[in-house]
Amino acid sequence: MTRTHPLLAAWAWLVYAFLYLPILVLIVFSFNESRFGAEWTGFTTKWYGVLLGRADVRAALGHTLQVALLSTLVSTVLGTLTGLGLWRYTSRARAALSTLLVLPIVIPDVVMGVMLLMFYAAVRAGLERAGWTFDNGFWTVLLAHVTFQISYVALTVRSRLSGYGPELEEAARDLGASAWQSFWRVVLPLAWPGVLAGALLAFTLSLDDFVVTYFTSGSGFQTLPVLIYTNVKRGVTPDINALSTLLILVTVVAVLVANALLRPRRKA
Amino acid sequence: MKTASPVPPGDGRTLRVFIWSEYMDPDIVKAFEEQTGARVILDTFESNEAMLAKLQGGGATYDLVVPSSYVVQTMVRAGLLQPLDRARLPNLKNVAPEFLNPPYDPGNRYSVPYQYAATGLAYNKSRYVPRSSWAEIFGPEDRRSFVLLDDPREVIGAALKYLGHSANTADVAQLRAARDLLRRTVAKKGFQGFDGGPGTRNKLLARQIDLGQIYVGDLLIATEENPQVQVVLPREGTTISMDTLVVLKRSPNPALAHRFINTLLDAEVGARLSNYTYYATPNAAARPLLDDFLKAVPALNPPADWLKNGKLNFIDELPDRRAQRLYDRIWTELKSR
Repeated sequence: MTRTHPLLAAWAWLVYAFLYLPILVLIVFSFNESRFGAEWTGFTTKWYGVLLGRADVRAALGHTLQVALLSTLVSTVLGTLTGLGLWRYTSRARAALSTLLVLPIVIPDVVMGVMLLMFYAAVRAGLERAGWTFDNGFWTVLLAHVTFQISYVALTVRSRLSGYGPELEEAARDLGASAWQSFWRVVLPLAWPGVLAGALLAFTLSLDDFVVTYFTSGSGFQTLPVLIYTNVKRGVTPDINALSTLLILVTVVAVLVANALLRPRRKA
Repeated sequence: MKTASPVPPGDGRTLRVFIWSEYMDPDIVKAFEEQTGARVILDTFESNEAMLAKLQGGGATYDLVVPSSYVVQTMVRAGLLQPLDRARLPNLKNVAPEFLNPPYDPGNRYSVPYQYAATGLAYNKSRYVPRSSWAEIFGPEDRRSFVLLDDPREVIGAALKYLGHSANTADVAQLRAARDLLRRTVAKKGFQGFDGGPGTRNKLLARQIDLGQIYVGDLLIATEENPQVQVVLPREGTTISMDTLVVLKRSPNPALAHRFINTLLDAEVGARLSNYTYYATPNAAARPLLDDFLKAVPALNPPADWLKNGKLNFIDELPDRRAQRLYDRIWTELKSR
């Protein structure tokens, strides 16, 4: 056993403090009597009551979860297939496809948002000539999220498989597995941690995206990040702190449950 | 789960409003919904620029929007607005005469005034009580810590007012004087940077600074909880930001939008609105009905003659590209120190 150097340990604690103190402050201030986060004026739980009475927050939370869940599902399936394709086939097209996949990750959000807004406008103009039209809303936001999520999932899945070569599938085929069987029994189980990680990443990205969502949503479809960000003009109220506290709580519980489920069982 | 639907036809049952946050009393909306049987959807934006970008991109259908006065002309030129139907707005008579026929919308063709705030000097009594003059910030002495609004037109406008000019001037010599004054101002030891309303408010509540340039309404919201924080209007005059109500050309339900505007112009509703937002009402009939707390704040309603004699300037759109460039250049230099 090597002992951790005390300086290194102290440094680690500092890093963790830097990461988690702001979250702690937010949680503490969700119980502050004052409407303003400038001074502590007393303990109260009233902001949680205020939060429960806000229909706009409820609606925004619903929209956020709808988009996050469905876009994660779609992008995980498409992104996994893309990642597998990139891993499996070697061709000149692959390099180009790789570059195309990285683009949505490196393009600034605001460019992507405006780009999609213009794209939808162009599609709408075309449809209007055919006598049909649509309003931006759930579907346009969903499509926008899937657009940037696919890249993350595909790259995560590919990097998970990068240690294995094509001999993996060949061996499975030699042992009598059909193409389907080798996919379901060999490749996918190996890629699975990458698929899960990609899905979690995609879900998180969707949950807290503001810029792209703002530009691609229509009227009556605000998500939580849009609702919260547009509050900066007059100041974020403590009921939003309360909401954030609840979201953090749910996340922590989910992580603990996932850890408990994934822990390898001791052999009896 | 929603499906992609065509643009909602004018069913007369849904009103879509695009507005600043914390700027509409939910009870007013509820009462209007009960009265008309319509559903009101409120979406929020955080800046005029973001609002314009979204509207010009298409794809978002709204009936009623609440832009600041200086973008009304921009919206007219972009073909976004429809002229208002006066016959449907009998309550327009409640608006104080000094707020009718404004320079940003002659004859109120496209807009009616909604809520406004003058820009004032805020302070925390328990730390420092200033004279009501821009000299507190722009004067030669450097003993006080202060924050300026993070807005080019407000900051340059305040400097111009201190020098006795219009906040909308395009005169090169006047702008040069303002530039030199601002250079000296941001070089002061007391200068604590630029910030928005909530940030400046919190610094004053926490007694971190002596003075802050702020929209009156953004400070008053805190005064009720903590009477130590106060705001005054500098005697040299100041800027005023008016938010307005406009109806979009593509509004599916213009009749309902007009009905809502007329409701907002009602005396009692106007008072409730100000009591909720802490912004001032241009509605003369509403003023007697304001909360006592608001009535007691002189900074809320500047003297009526201040508008006439030019002490109080609406922030207008600048007359030409050249002026726009001058303002931009001054601001860029200040921000990139």
